[in-house]
Amino acid sequence: MQTVIKTESLSKTYTNTAVPVHALKDVNLEFKQGEFTAIVGPSGSGKTTFLNVIGGLDKPTEGKVVIDDVDIATMKESQLFDFRLRHIGFVFQAYNLIPVLTAVENVSFIMLLQKKPKKEMEQRAREMLDQVGLSEKLHVRPSQLSGGQQQRVAVARALASKPDFVLADEPTANLDTESAFNLLDIMARLNKEENITLIFSTHDQRVIDRAKRVITLVDGAVDKDEHFKRN
Amino acid sequence: MFFILAWRNIWRNKRRTLITVSSVLFAYVLATALLSFAEGFQRQLKETMIRQETGYLQIQDAYYFDEPSLDHTLEYGDNVKQAVAEFDEEIDYVVPRIQGFSLAAKEMSTRPAMVTGILPGQENKIRNLSGNMVRGEMFSEDDDFAVIAKGLADLLKLDIGDTLILIGQGYQAVTATGMFEVGGIIEFQLPEQNNTAVFLPLKEAQWYFAADNRLTNLIIMPADPDQINRLASELQSRLDDEWYTAKTWKELMPDMVGLMQMQNTVYTGIAWIFYIIVGFGIFGTILTMLYERMQEFGILLSIGMKRIQLGIIGLIETILIGLLGTTAGVLTALPIVYIFQQFPIKFTGEMAEYILRFGMEPVFPFVIDKHIFINQAYTVFGITLLIGLYTMRKMYSIQILEAAKN
Repeated sequence: MQTVIKTESLSKTYTNTAVPVHALKDVNLEFKQGEFTAIVGPSGSGKTTFLNVIGGLDKPTEGKVVIDDVDIATMKESQLFDFRLRHIGFVFQAYNLIPVLTAVENVSFIMLLQKKPKKEMEQRAREMLDQVGLSEKLHVRPSQLSGGQQQRVAVARALASKPDFVLADEPTANLDTESAFNLLDIMARLNKEENITLIFSTHDQRVIDRAKRVITLVDGAVDKDEHFKRN
Repeated sequence: MFFILAWRNIWRNKRRTLITVSSVLFAYVLATALLSFAEGFQRQLKETMIRQETGYLQIQDAYYFDEPSLDHTLEYGDNVKQAVAEFDEEIDYVVPRIQGFSLAAKEMSTRPAMVTGILPGQENKIRNLSGNMVRGEMFSEDDDFAVIAKGLADLLKLDIGDTLILIGQGYQAVTATGMFEVGGIIEFQLPEQNNTAVFLPLKEAQWYFAADNRLTNLIIMPADPDQINRLASELQSRLDDEWYTAKTWKELMPDMVGLMQMQNTVYTGIAWIFYIIVGFGIFGTILTMLYERMQEFGILLSIGMKRIQLGIIGLIETILIGLLGTTAGVLTALPIVYIFQQFPIKFTGEMAEYILRFGMEPVFPFVIDKHIFINQAYTVFGITLLIGLYTMRKMYSIQILEAAKN
C-alpha cells in the first residue's frame, strides 16, 4: 500500500510556557492509503498536537512530515493553505459548520475554495450528503440539525474535496451513542468503499473498537502501535 | 458564495445589524439635512449679496478695487463694449453703474448719501428696484429726477416733488453739485442703505460727477454663473491690464467668501462628528462580530480558506452594512429635504426682521443638491471601507490554532 504520511523524528516543544512542554518526542510513523487509525492516549499526551502538525496547522520543532514526497514542515504559510485545501479533510469535535450556510452549501464550500465547476460541486455535495444519509436535509441550516447530523455534514464536507486523508479530532466526543455509532458506520463504510485514509484522535472506546490501527501516545512519544483486523 | 455568506452573516444578529444600519441612516440624514440647509443658506446669502452688491462679475478700473473713488472710474468706450460683445452668448445682461459719496441736503439739513447712477431697466433685472418703490415712480433712462431711499427722505423731510441738493466731489477733483427733483421714494430693509441711497439716471449721475461716459463698475451677469472664472479670465485677456480689471464676486467680496468658508468648515465639522459617532458604532458591531466568530474563522482557515478570502468576506460584510445604512439614509433624507425645500420652515419675530434687513427671505432655505447626497454617501463608504480594511487586517493576523480553540 502507498504511504500517505510519513513522520521522521518528529518533535514539538512549546517554549511559550513557564517550563518548556515537550508535546511530541521523536515520533516516527507511517500511514498507508486506506488505513483507519485511532490515536489514543491520556489528556496531554500529544494527540491533538500530532494531528495539528501532520495537518499543517502547526510546525514541528524538529523532524519531518512527508506527504506526497513533500516535507510540509518546510512549507510557507501560504503554501500550507493550499496544501490543506487540496490534500487534507478535517473533522472537528464541535462540528464547526458555517451556521449561515445550508448543509449542501457547507459541503460545497471547500470545493468552492478549490474553484471546482459549479455543477460538479453541487453534484458531489449532494452525493456526499446522500452517502452520509442526509439527502433529505440538503437545504437545512446547521441549527436545524441534531449534533449527529451536523457531524455527518462535517464528514461529508471533509470528504467532498477528495482529500488524501482525513484528520478527525475527537469527532464523537459530543455525540450520543446512537449518533456516534451511526457516524462511525458511515466513516467505516467510506473508508472501505472509497479507500480513504482516516486518522482519529480519540478517547472514545467506540472509535477505538472500530479502528484497524491504534497508536497510543504517552507524554508525546509513541507507546504502542497496534494493528487489528476488523470487518 | 462569498457575497451570500457575507450577506447572511450580517443577519446572524438581526437586531444588532438593524441598530447599526439605523445609526448610519440617522447620521446620513442628519448630515445631509444639515449640509442641505447650509448650502441653501449660503446660496441665498450669495445670491442676495451678488444681486444687491456686486453682481457675478465686474469690469472696473484697474485701481478701483483698492481705492474706490471716482478718480478710478473706467471709460465705457468701444474697447470695453467690444470685449463684452465678444461674449454675447455667454452674458445674460450687463448693468453699468457709477457711484460715489456726496452730501444730500434740503434747506438747512444735510446727510451723507451714496449717489448711484443707474440704467433702471438693467438695474431692475438684477435687483428689482422698482418693486421696492413706496411712493412716486422709478425714473426712466432719459428722465432727470432722483429716487431716494425712504430713510434718507424721512431724515431730510423730503417728499415727492421736493428738491434734493447734492454736493460732492466728482471726477478728477471737480466739485460736483446738482439739484434734482425727488420723483420717487424707495424702501430698503438694510438701514444703512435705507438712510443713504440716492439713485439718478446714469446720464444725470455722469453729468453730476463730471464723468461723462465713465463708470465705477460694469456688472456682468453671465448666462451660466458656474463659468465666471473662465469668463473673467477671457474678458481680462481682451482688456488692457493697465486700465481695466475683470473681477469675480469672490474677489470683490473676500470677507463673505471667508465667512462662507468658515460656515462650511463648521457644518462639515458637525457632519463629521455624526460620522465619527456612526463610525465607532459600525466599528463596535464589526469587532463584536469578529470576536464572536473567531473560532469559525480559525476553522475556515484550517480547512484551507485563504486569509485574503476570509478578509474579503469581512470587508464585504462591513461595506454591506454601510451600503444598507446609506441607501436607507438616501431614501429617508431625500423626501425630508424635499419637503423642507418645498415648504421651508419660516423664521418669525425679531429673527425674521433681522434676516429681512439683509434682504433675504426669512426661511430655513434647504436645497436638494445631488453633490451633497453623493458626497455623504462617499463619506459613509469611505468610513466603512476603512473599518472593512481594519477588519481585513485583523483577519490576516488571526492565529489559526488559537482561534480554532477559542
